[in-house]
Amino acid sequence: MNYESINNIWILTKKNITLYIKKGPVLIFGLMFPFFMVISWILGRSISVGQIFIGIIAMTSFFTATAVSPVILPIETREKSLERILSAPLSLNEILLGITLASTLYSVIITSIIAIIFIILFPAIMSAPFSLFLTFLGILLMGILGSLMGLLLSAKPTDQTSDIMVLMNLIKFPLLFIGGIFIPLKEIPPSVAFVYLISPLTFLTELLRSAVNQSNVVSSEICVLILCIWVVVLFVINYILHRKTMPKRFSETGGSRKMMMMKKQ
Amino acid sequence: MSAPKKIALETFNLTKRFGDLTAVDDISFKINEGDIVGILGPNGAGKTSTIRLITGIFQLEKESRVEVYSRDLTNSPKKLKKMFGIVPEISNAYSDYTIWQNLNFSGTIYGLSKEKIKERTNKLLERFELTDKMHAKTKTLSKGLKQRLNLCLALLHEPSILILDEPTSGLDPLSVGIVRNQILDLKKEGKTIIDTTHNMQEAQQVCDRILIMNRGKIIADESPDNLRKKFKPSSTLFFKLERILSVEQKNDLKSKFNVIEEPNNHMRIITDNPLEDISSFNNFVKNHNITISNFNLKETTLEEVFIHIIKNDSQSNRRDSK
Repeated sequence: MNYESINNIWILTKKNITLYIKKGPVLIFGLMFPFFMVISWILGRSISVGQIFIGIIAMTSFFTATAVSPVILPIETREKSLERILSAPLSLNEILLGITLASTLYSVIITSIIAIIFIILFPAIMSAPFSLFLTFLGILLMGILGSLMGLLLSAKPTDQTSDIMVLMNLIKFPLLFIGGIFIPLKEIPPSVAFVYLISPLTFLTELLRSAVNQSNVVSSEICVLILCIWVVVLFVINYILHRKTMPKRFSETGGSRKMMMMKKQ
Repeated sequence: MSAPKKIALETFNLTKRFGDLTAVDDISFKINEGDIVGILGPNGAGKTSTIRLITGIFQLEKESRVEVYSRDLTNSPKKLKKMFGIVPEISNAYSDYTIWQNLNFSGTIYGLSKEKIKERTNKLLERFELTDKMHAKTKTLSKGLKQRLNLCLALLHEPSILILDEPTSGLDPLSVGIVRNQILDLKKEGKTIIDTTHNMQEAQQVCDRILIMNRGKIIADESPDNLRKKFKPSSTLFFKLERILSVEQKNDLKSKFNVIEEPNNHMRIITDNPLEDISSFNNFVKNHNITISNFNLKETTLEEVFIHIIKNDSQSNRRDSK
């Protein structure tokens, strides 16, 4: 990747941040949802501060990361601006990375602010600088992973954000409930623990558990490795799928289906 | 003798399939530098898909190739895409950005420096009379103003080839005039222009050459004048007889001209050679002492040629499929 590519990705990222973070679906699914989920989970329950920290960070990170990336392509398809981007001197990789970076930054900034406020209020939960490092590494990896997950679902060639958000929620909530937030992995019977390993959130919560010195099942090194593998696999699948579905976003706008064309016999 | 023109754009076997539909069916053509080429065709003819193949929005099939100034688009897409300026039918500027923000964004992705963007933006805003609207959000602009912005966006990076996808579609006559005059000015500046349009008047006024597409294929490739001569040369003489002709007069008229009688003493003469037939008709009128009124000559329009070509092509296709 050369300087020109990095510059292009940054230009696209800035555009995506300025245009899309204030969109309705992003505010609803990225901010309001985690806020009310956290409130309803905490209120009236006796949960340790460490456990609350893990829950808040994991939920905020996951919800914010999966809020921006799924809405960009449907909106740009509808507004035809995607056509402008695709005919510009930009590669598909740069376009996808521009969306991923915007979404990651949104997630990392919001989650980091919450993490910093929490650590300032409850300094006892973080005993060493390494814990801080693990926390922010987890926030960064989940930011990238969640953004790529949202981007992957937006490969469906639709111009309706609601189509993607419904699909996103269908996947997001099961992953959240088997992500070790509400019931830690160590409390799950081994016979069903494998279900928890499907969710990448499990590895974030396990990583945060070691950061706040709670007992964990999966070591922090393994958690980082698995989250990195998720990121690489998701990026590759994203590239393949978007390459395949991108032309379909325009297949019905050129009039080719309005008229009977050459239906091959 | 003038030097042969450079070939600005050449396509080889362009094909685009959507499942079992073939939107563009193995088309090849060349466009010389400085020419304005119109691509005409009914809805679904494959015009927009052709443009999307040329501009890299659609990936080229294995057998297809696009060359820009003899360089393969697939080998250096970024470099060659900078040579295109594209004006879409429907505005694709960011609706939440202002005119200025749209131009600034476009300039940066085309690699222009800040100073260059500022200089070009000011020049273009002035040329297209958008200076006082530069801080207005795009979504608040009328269709005519949006189309002017699209022209600014397309011209910002000074492309060599301008691609217009139905640029005057849905505009009011005033905006059509502005856009059309700008196209003619751009031709004077030496820009190579591809103009896909439904508007025959526009094609006739601005194009050096016309490609007519139907069912994904190019079915005619001529200058507007040649198209008229080659595909539907007949012109029509209209007149009204002030008194009824005798049987002999009528027979004489019919023997000399291809006459069609119409109600209320109106008549039409279909002719492939209007100058000669007007002179013969004048003699006929004098010799028979006939009084006529409402005489006029209507030349075949490009629209009639277009309809004629498309009908013929569709009929021959129906015959082939039977």
